[in-house]
Formats: sequence, structure tokens, C-alpha cells
Amino acid sequence: MSFGRFALKRSLQGIGVVWGVVTVVFALRFVTPGSAINAVAPLDASQETRQAIAAELGLDQPLYVQYGQYIFDLLRGDMGQSYIKGQEVTALVFSRLPATVELAVAASVVAIVLAIPLGVISATRRNEPVDYGATLLSLGGISTPNFWLGIMLILIFAVEFNIFNTSGRGVDVGDVALSVVNAEPFVGTLLTWLAYITLPAIALGTYFMALITRLTRSGMLDELSKGYVQAARAKGLPRTLIRYKHALRNTLIPVITVLGLQLGTLIGGAVITEAVFSWPGLGTLVIESINQRDWPALQGSLIVIGTSFVLVNILVDVVYAYLDPEVVND
Amino acid sequence: MVSSRVIRNLKKEFRGSGLAKLGLALVVLITLTAVFAPFIAPHNPTDQQLDQSELPPIGFSETTERTTSQMVDGEIQTVTEEVEITADPDHVFGTDGLGRDMFSRVVYGARTSLVVGVLGTVLAASIGVPVGLLAGYHRGRVDDALMRIADVSLAFPSLVLAVALIGLWGRAAVDVPDPFVVAGLAPEMPESFVLPITVVIVVGLVNWVWFARVARGEALSLRGQEYVKASRALGADDNTIILRHILPNAITPIIVLGTVQVAAIILLESSLSFLGFSGTTLSWGFDIAQGRDYVSSGQWWIASIPGLAIMLSVIGINLLGDWLRDALDPGIEGEGGAA
Repeated sequence: MSFGRFALKRSLQGIGVVWGVVTVVFALRFVTPGSAINAVAPLDASQETRQAIAAELGLDQPLYVQYGQYIFDLLRGDMGQSYIKGQEVTALVFSRLPATVELAVAASVVAIVLAIPLGVISATRRNEPVDYGATLLSLGGISTPNFWLGIMLILIFAVEFNIFNTSGRGVDVGDVALSVVNAEPFVGTLLTWLAYITLPAIALGTYFMALITRLTRSGMLDELSKGYVQAARAKGLPRTLIRYKHALRNTLIPVITVLGLQLGTLIGGAVITEAVFSWPGLGTLVIESINQRDWPALQGSLIVIGTSFVLVNILVDVVYAYLDPEVVND
Repeated sequence: MVSSRVIRNLKKEFRGSGLAKLGLALVVLITLTAVFAPFIAPHNPTDQQLDQSELPPIGFSETTERTTSQMVDGEIQTVTEEVEITADPDHVFGTDGLGRDMFSRVVYGARTSLVVGVLGTVLAASIGVPVGLLAGYHRGRVDDALMRIADVSLAFPSLVLAVALIGLWGRAAVDVPDPFVVAGLAPEMPESFVLPITVVIVVGLVNWVWFARVARGEALSLRGQEYVKASRALGADDNTIILRHILPNAITPIIVLGTVQVAAIILLESSLSFLGFSGTTLSWGFDIAQGRDYVSSGQWWIASIPGLAIMLSVIGINLLGDWLRDALDPGIEGEGGAA
């Protein structure tokens, strides 16, 4: 199979999965004991009012008609109207998405920047104090609930030392970039941005930092014992070059795949981190929608979350296949 | 199944690893705490004593401002004074905002975490393992369908799916009578254990797919083995082959995954309780949510201590998982499951 065909096949599979995601989300509405009408109708609504509402929401149609209509609307980018916020769900979800992406990317950066050197050092100095330290740190990291870590960070850095903000978003990363263009005080805007994002990014990123450290360490140990490393050593290549150019590169390929699969954990973690730090992202929208029984908003958020997961994993697989052509033939 | 070679490996790895010993010790400690909670807890964890609220843990003291109305020269005046609150030896970990004993709450919280963790894992495994084995053994359409379902299932983060399902289904809980209290051995303790049944069902439904993936992978690699072919040639039917030959040989990675899953589900349960989606109020996650409101006013222990309990339990189980993995099969990938 050629690379192009692989990419095409993987994308088609992805479309199938997205269709499955949409179907599951559509079905969720029908496992509810409190039907959609109850969420909208006043408690003392008469039978006529309830029927009128059902007709307006299309709930009086046969199931397959509702399903067809739902898919058709989705294809046009229409996810319905929020029951509570009186807003287009599409607009609502996409107004919240950037904050979650920003938080998730910041957390990943925190995780990767710390974890990869830590994993490499841990593997190259096996059974030395630095390795034990890194092992304990990563063990703690994968075992700590991120919402609790967030509260502890607030306790230490916001309540005791009053360094960071603990609630909301302040400015977004776009504002920081724009401050350069608009000749606003760049450093000031940057510091404001950091004051808001640092603690949630650490709270969310720690689990992944720990996970990547563990994966990098075991992957590096594996690679360093292989023949090509010994050959490179025998040739007299510098150690740093062998470690970082040869061994690390081969280690990172499987690490990236695992991270793609763990993207769900990252988004799930973002939901709860956002709740701790009142971060105005998709996660807070999910919780709000459930508490207010705002099903269209919940469905819209779930579809966007599920679809992002599928898209990122297609991207990961395609990049993987590009880096390691053997995968294509599997 | 469990051969003497396996037991030998387990012992060898255990002797060589301090971390395995620590893990086993933590898990035993938490299990005993959960089982014998009525005898370990010094107070009823739900008893409120408002005159003893917000007491710090042993070894700490708190200064807070207390405003009282007093009669001074025939007039009522409000007086604000700094009061030093010292720990009460009767409450080792202090008390929460309603004067409930934190130590007793932590002890009882172990029950919720462990029961949900184990039952959720058993449920997830009892759905995922048969489905995975059948799909991997028969391949073809069943397998394709399973893999697509697994793909869709993985696209939703565990926590998000769990929150959505509980939001839709409600938060049901079952009261399970506590045998020790019923027998009159610890009369002042809560009469029943509140089992958040929706949480158990939901975490099982959300996490079965990890078991299905592992079981399928094992079945795929085992179905071509000589002894399976021989058994088939002798006329054994498919179900017998799966039960007698595939399952026993696939059990090792399933056990390792199960261990990791207990830890993952404990973390998931605490997240759900923290967000208020649990159905029980006696849970570490729930207490952290309560304690969050006290963080800015100085009562740090209410949120901190239950979190340490979660951390120690999950560390213990993860260490146990690492030990099992290293001893049983060095070839298994380590990072299954989701938090």
C-alpha cells in the first residue's frame, strides 16, 4: 500500500468513527428519563403546550426522521439551539473551544519539556539517585488526582504566596500576540496571561509529564541496548549524538502514538481542571449543560470533543506512517 | 493458569524490589482499613458537632478572627478578636466545616474508593473480556464491528462520558447494611454503606473497551497455536476452546490490566464525586470538593488530607501493577487505562 492510499484509508475510517460518535450522541437523548420537553417546558405546562414544544423541537416525528434531520443539520454546521443560553450551539461550542485548546496545549508543553529530558537522563543514569528521583516523581504524577493537585497549587501559590490568579482566563494567547502589533506593553500582557494559565497548565500537565517520563525511560532503555547503538558507539560517535539523535528519535515514535490515544485523558482532565480554575472552556460548558439539562449544548460539546479526538489520531497515524513506512504494510 | 513458574517469578521480583513491597503494604493497609472501617474510625464519620468544627490536625494550630457580640457598659458591641484554635487529640486529622472527624471520614472513604474501584473493574472485565476473546478468536465481521465500537468508545474521554451518562441517568445509590454494625459490634457507626451504583455501572461501561482490546489481542495471537489447532482437530467446539485454551493463557495480561484499572477507576470515582456526580457523600473526592471552599480561609487540611489518601492508594495499586507486570510478563505494555 502506498503512503497516499494509507492516508486515504485512515481518513475514511475516521469518517466512519465520527459517524459512530454522532450516532451515540444522538442516542444519548433517548436514554434520558427526563425527556427534552421537561427541560424546556414550565412545570405546570398544559398538555397542549407540551405538544407544541415537542412539535417545535421536532420530537413528535418518527425516530428515523429525527435522526436524518439531525445528521442533515450537522452537515450544515447546525447543532441546534441551546435550551438555556438561547444561543446557537455551534457558536457556543466554538466560542469555548479555543480556551480548552489553549489549556491543553499549554499543559502538553509543560509535560513534554520536562518529561523528555527527565526520561532520557533517567534511562542513561539507570539506578543512580537521579533515576530514583525521576521514578518516584513520575509514580506520584500518574497517581495524583489532577483536581486535587490544582487545589494544592492554589493553596500554596495563590493563597500563601499570592503569586498567581486562580479563577478565569484573563487574556488569551491571541491578545499576547496582538499586544506586539498594537504596541501595547507586551511584557505586561504576557505576565497577565502567565498569571492565569500557569497553575491550571501544571495541574493538567503533571499526569502527562509523569506518563511521558515513564514511556521515554523504558523506551530509551530498550533502544540503548540495541545493536545499532553499540555500532555507533564502536564507531566513536559522541554519546550525546547517539542518545539524542539516534536513540531518542526511535523512542519518540511509539511515545507519540500513546499520547494520541491518551488525548481523551487530556480532554477529560481539562474538564475537571477547568472546573477547579473556572476556566471558561468546553469542560465548564459540559458540566453547566448537564446541570442545567441543556441537552443540545451537551450534545454539541460531545460531538466536538469526539471529533477532535478522531482527527488528532488520524493525524498521529499518518505522521507515524510517514516516519515509519513499515506501518503502512501492517 | 497459575503455574509454579509464575509463582517463582512473582517471589523473585518481590524480593528484589523495595517498591513492590511498598505497593503491597499500601494495598493491604487500605484494604484492611476499608473492611474494618467501623473498628478503626474513632467517630461516626457523618456525626456533625458544630461546636467542634474546623479543628486543625494534631501538631497544628490556627489563628482566626472571631466576631462576638458582648455587653460593654450596658451596650451591645461587636468585638473582633484573634482566636488561637488548637488541635484536639480526639481528632487526629482535625475536623471539617461541620465538625465531622476527618480521620473517620478518610477511613470510611477508603471503602467507597475500593468498592467502586474493584466492582467497576470486575464489571468492565466481565463485559470486555468475553467480547474481546470472541472477536479475536472468530475474527471477521464480529471483530470488525468490535473494533469500530471500540474506536467510537475511545473517542469520548472516560470522565466526559461518565459525567454525561450520570447526568442523564441520575445518581442512584444502594444502602448496603454494614455487617459489623448489624451484629452490634460497632453500634455508634453508620448502619449502612452507601454504594453509588450508577457510578459503578457507568465506570464499567466506560472502561470495558480496554479489556476488550487486550483480550482480543491475546486471542488473535493464541488462535494459531498448535494446541488450539490440535484441540479443534479433536472436535472441540469453539466455546470450549476459548474457555479451556485461550482464556487461561490470556489471563496474565488481563490481570495486569485489571490492577491498573482499579487505580484508574479510583481516580475516576474521585473526580466524579468531586464534581458532585457520585450519589454518596462519604468519599474522598466529595470531601476535597467540600474542603475547596475552605482553602482561601486557611483550613487547608480539609481538602489536603483526603487527596493524600487517594494518592497513597493509587501509588500502592500502581506499584502492585508494576510488580505483577514485571514478574508475569516482561513483554506487556505498561500504560493501559485512563484516568
